Amino acid sequence: MKLSKLFPWLVGAVALACVFLALLPSGKVRGFDVAGFGSLPVLEGGRVKPMDSVARNSLLMIRGQQSFRDGGKTLSADEWLMDLMFRPQVADQQPVFRIDDPDVLGLIGLKQSSNRYFSFQTLGPHLEEIQKQAQAAQPIEAQKRTRFQGAVVNLFDRVYLYYKLRNTMQLAGTPGLAFELQTLGAPDAAQRHADLAQIAQFRPLPPLPGQSPDAWQSTGEGLRAADAGTVHPALSLYAQASLAYASGDAQGFNSAVKALEARVASERPEFVSHADHEVLFNRAQPFYLGMLLYVMALIVVFVSWAWKPEILRPSAFALLCVGAFVHTAGLIFRIVLQGRPPVTNLYSSAVFVGWGAVILGLILERLYKNGFGTAVATAAGFASLIVAQHLGTDGDTMEMMRAVLDSNFWLATHVVTITIGYSGTFLAGAIAIGYTIRKHLVADPDPETTRSLVSMAYGIICFALFFSFVGTVLGGIWADQSWGRFWGWDPKENGALLIVLWNAIILHARWAGYVRERGLMAMAIFGNVMTSLSWFGVNMLGVGLHSYGFMDKAFWALSTFIATQVVLMGLCLLPPLRGRGHRPA
Amino acid sequence: MIKQIGTRLWKFISSFELTIVTLALLMALVFLCTLAQVQLGTLGAVNHYMRSWFVLWQPKDSNLFIPVFPGGTLVGLVLVLNLIAATIKRLSFTWQKAGLWIVHTGLILLVAGEFATGAFQVDTNMAIEVGQTVNYVEAPRSMELAVIDTTDAAYDDVYSIPEATLAREGTVAIPGTPLAIRVRKFFRNANLSALGQGDAPSMATAGVGPGVKVVGQPPVTRDDDINHTTAFIEPIAGGHSFGTWLVSTDLGAPQGFTYEGRNYRLLVRPRRIYLPYAITLKKFSHDVYPGTDIPKNFSSLIHLSNPNTGEERDVLIYMNQPMRYDGKAFYQASFGKGDTLSILQVVGNPGWLIPYISCVLVTIGLLMHFGITLRRSIKRRQTQKEG
Repeated sequence: MKLSKLFPWLVGAVALACVFLALLPSGKVRGFDVAGFGSLPVLEGGRVKPMDSVARNSLLMIRGQQSFRDGGKTLSADEWLMDLMFRPQVADQQPVFRIDDPDVLGLIGLKQSSNRYFSFQTLGPHLEEIQKQAQAAQPIEAQKRTRFQGAVVNLFDRVYLYYKLRNTMQLAGTPGLAFELQTLGAPDAAQRHADLAQIAQFRPLPPLPGQSPDAWQSTGEGLRAADAGTVHPALSLYAQASLAYASGDAQGFNSAVKALEARVASERPEFVSHADHEVLFNRAQPFYLGMLLYVMALIVVFVSWAWKPEILRPSAFALLCVGAFVHTAGLIFRIVLQGRPPVTNLYSSAVFVGWGAVILGLILERLYKNGFGTAVATAAGFASLIVAQHLGTDGDTMEMMRAVLDSNFWLATHVVTITIGYSGTFLAGAIAIGYTIRKHLVADPDPETTRSLVSMAYGIICFALFFSFVGTVLGGIWADQSWGRFWGWDPKENGALLIVLWNAIILHARWAGYVRERGLMAMAIFGNVMTSLSWFGVNMLGVGLHSYGFMDKAFWALSTFIATQVVLMGLCLLPPLRGRGHRPA
Repeated sequence: MIKQIGTRLWKFISSFELTIVTLALLMALVFLCTLAQVQLGTLGAVNHYMRSWFVLWQPKDSNLFIPVFPGGTLVGLVLVLNLIAATIKRLSFTWQKAGLWIVHTGLILLVAGEFATGAFQVDTNMAIEVGQTVNYVEAPRSMELAVIDTTDAAYDDVYSIPEATLAREGTVAIPGTPLAIRVRKFFRNANLSALGQGDAPSMATAGVGPGVKVVGQPPVTRDDDINHTTAFIEPIAGGHSFGTWLVSTDLGAPQGFTYEGRNYRLLVRPRRIYLPYAITLKKFSHDVYPGTDIPKNFSSLIHLSNPNTGEERDVLIYMNQPMRYDGKAFYQASFGKGDTLSILQVVGNPGWLIPYISCVLVTIGLLMHFGITLRRSIKRRQTQKEG
């Protein structure tokens, strides 16, 4: 008896301990201070971030992962970037390009096989052809491209990113940065410096004392300034790091990295602390961890319905709480790092939708204590974090906001409310799916639980109507402030309106008595369809002022999702599979 | 009999069925309107589905328009009637229902606001270069034929004929001058190209027209396209014809003629609306994030000068911060010419405040109603537990 009370607490504590383990930095690799290198601040995409973020985001874009295995050992993104910049001949042999499209594989003379990853060296002889095909496809609007055209443009973009990273510190195939510093003023040096300045993917040289905080320089610009007589101190340190890394001199490399960090720390301590915090956030991967915790909780709650509910249900709840804690901590960390409200792009909207659903589910579980709150919260949290993982492979998830979006007030009000509306509609849909599954699997469902499920769904729909309505109208007001019209029938606005209308229809149908338990639940499942269309579907149209979140590859995923929801609606309306669901009155 | 019909009509118009059917129809319209934007552009789709009484369908190779679905205007109107009727009939005037009363009032206002926007909103823009002073706005979607008397070097006398008048293809006398313009042929949209060897000769007999081939085109619907409005016109004065001229937004070169010592220029351009005040662009800024070309901010520092009120002041217009003046709102919309040209969108909408009020009403109403419902439900659960 004692143990059964203690067990859930134990589960939660172990889960929490595992979370904190994830925060520990990795050790040195072959004696090189990889973590130190990853913490160096640079300027990329208009913001200061650690080298680690550049490495992770680039590898995610190129390979779809933040680390990979090659030759029996795991390479971190930081290590890969170090190889790419300082030992390109080694990096060029690492299989980092993921290619799935059979036509693109055919283009480079390969057959589809279990191996989907290829090195830059493999692509080397075909680069011209890839470029030619990509340039032919680029003028075509993204949504009108064929699958091959889309895939070849995508591959070319990744090769181009790789090429830019490879030539950011020093031009690949030249003796390197130290050589450039020794041969300042040589006849052909100016051309190389100009090339470096042009190709650079990021700017590693921090602003000098007295300069504006935006005045970061690329190595090319630094070398140009050196030509004119001022050698940026970080330039020679990076040259030292480059030489040391290429020759395997771990000590030399580590001392250069230390000196680089110390330089920035003494002049611009805010950059170093920001970079350190972001590295911590990258390492913790809170949303990935949250996803794992949610899936564990979901499995435990499923098992609890068949076996030892008195121990397992609270254990699942404990896991859900730890997951929600990690999820919340990640969100807060992100808000502080970026200095922005939680939702700034499609990726963060997925994270936030999941968070909203989890918190609502937690509240429902506290109120009703029947395991359903835990089940729908974990399912919704898990599903939306998976979606977020997929959306996060497009690059920096904390990118800078375009001028019209650069308004924390509206991001905090309109965007957050509308996203909570999405959360609510999805959660109501999840409850209805739970209801459907239970109806067919449980032989004789207890009417008390059924009633509480219906009242949960009803309450959440009211909640969702409120937030989606207010969010939509706030969006109109923002549009009035920035584009000069309250309502323009833009696809994203229409999508939001569809959710509001649908929730209003559900509530009115219920008040009028046209639908009861089954009908309400089936309608709530259709709410999932409306929300997914409004959230992602309208972005696929590629029209309108809101199409900043355009995606082409998610079309099939969305279609599949909608198909499953329609099937579930059918199941929801059918009479129960087992038993009659008929009880004496 | 009449009373019976009246009762049944009242029952119908205030019914829940009608609410749900109109809401569903509205959903269908919104959905179709969204999909249609890929083909028709936003404006085209909105006019087709939302700002129409019926959605019309034109069978291929036919001039017939068949109404196949109720349009947004009709559905919106029925919805408002239903909302008013149902609110009066169903909602008792009690505190319990106060939230819903407020919500429904807010909703009626919101739909009314959208009707007002459709009816009264005037969209124009003002393109202004650094240092330039401008006292007019242009309506980019409607054109005019400007006949400009340029005789006096100090000022121009401008006479303009709106597109709608040109489209009637009659003769228009220009007040205050001995001139009349006979519109021989008008195209809302046309394609202009050089006249080839085998082409039929042009209608034009003067100016650049004789060398240009004109092919009529359907008017554009996509938002980023503009019509190349074109016409063949014949200026007449004192019984004398000055020949037939081709005028078009697509022709850049100035064309004109002289009559009784006065020089006249002919020009098709976006319709201009003159303002009783002038705006000078002092500075335009286009900031980007360091090391990228991601725009961070656009702003126009303008000087407003109104001789009627004696106002002389500077205003900074930037993203999410329009200038509201004289019933119009000036927004930073676009830019060009290497960041020396700022394009302001100028919108006059007398009903702009309605959505703000309605938003506040609906928010308060929903909070009240759901608050009351939640309290009741919690109470019920408590009594259940105690019982």
